[in-house]
Amino acid sequence: MASRVSSKGKGKAARGSRGSDGRSTARCVKTWSTWAMKKAKVITHYGFIPLIIIIGMNSEPKPQLSQLLSPV
Amino acid sequence: MGSSVSHAAAPPPPPPAGLAVALPPKAEEKSEKKVDYLNLPCPVPFEEIQREALMSLKPELFEGLRFDFTKGLNQKFSLSHSVYMGSTEVPSPSSGTIKVPTAHYEFGANFLDPKLMLIGRVLTDGRLNARVKCDLTDNLTLKINAQLTNEPHFSQGMFNFDYKGKDFRAQYQMGNNAFYGANYIQSVTPHLSLGSEVFWLGHQRKSGIGFAARYNTDKMVATAQAASTGIVALCYVQKVSEKVSLASDFMYNHMTRDVTSSFGYDYILRQCRLRGKLDSNGCVAAFLEERLNMGVNFILSAEIDHRKKDYKFGFGMTVGE
Repeated sequence: MASRVSSKGKGKAARGSRGSDGRSTARCVKTWSTWAMKKAKVITHYGFIPLIIIIGMNSEPKPQLSQLLSPV
Repeated sequence: MGSSVSHAAAPPPPPPAGLAVALPPKAEEKSEKKVDYLNLPCPVPFEEIQREALMSLKPELFEGLRFDFTKGLNQKFSLSHSVYMGSTEVPSPSSGTIKVPTAHYEFGANFLDPKLMLIGRVLTDGRLNARVKCDLTDNLTLKINAQLTNEPHFSQGMFNFDYKGKDFRAQYQMGNNAFYGANYIQSVTPHLSLGSEVFWLGHQRKSGIGFAARYNTDKMVATAQAASTGIVALCYVQKVSEKVSLASDFMYNHMTRDVTSSFGYDYILRQCRLRGKLDSNGCVAAFLEERLNMGVNFILSAEIDHRKKDYKFGFGMTVGE
């Protein structure tokens, strides 16, 4: 019985450490992906309209900078 | 579909020779065409299955003053400035909705290319509406739709991958809050297309499935949709002439036992477009866009809700294409 308990205990410890490794990897991936999504959201929020303006000003025929700023 | 070609209907008897000159030419063209089930037309996208009815019955009604100015810098690139002063309805927990006076200025930039479309609009309170549509290949399209706000947890985004086949369309959607959806629509005959959709909401562990059918000819469009969320929607649009179309719509929500039906008209005339609708909730609305000059449009919007005694009138101008 003692050996069974100890083997069970050892098995559980081994499984536990493997499991916690798996869990911490998943948690790491989740933390990084959340961080990446937050950064992507901030970048999109500030950079989307300037990106459209840059792409538009470089398309053919190239408009002038004054056309961008003046209301006419 | 793989089925063999079959007759759609028995051919009409030929007219007597003496009347052949007097009869209109349409009678001869109507001699039936064999239905080729291997060459069916591509159906409309699943989310646009009710587009004719939505165009007629749901114009963008607003209250207050609206002024839009679109300036094109070249064929593909344009900037837009938009001013709005009026009331918006804010849902309040106590008594339905309350009207809050708001005013905002919206700056927008559009880049429209056959392969890439970028539309961005930013408001004075920092909200950004972004839409991207990119043709990755001839048949595969990526669409991104996002509303980003400065307040945390209020932003929304959706990625759609659309695949267009010969006589079918398939779409896969991914959204924030772990929303995943897919839909598929197939042309079954030259006039009838059937589709279905499934979706899964991760955070609330909710899933649903829906079915839709659309029957259209040159003169009419009829659609029916039913979803496991308990919503049944039917709509019918009849194109009475080149300038006039009439639409009606019926929606039943099984969960809230809510039934709504509306009837509307859409007059597309040379100088103006007038849309009006009448609702079973006691709501009467009208929307007029009048073309005053090349590129200058005058807009009037009116909505009267007899049941809630709510009156909304708006006017505005749109300058630019």
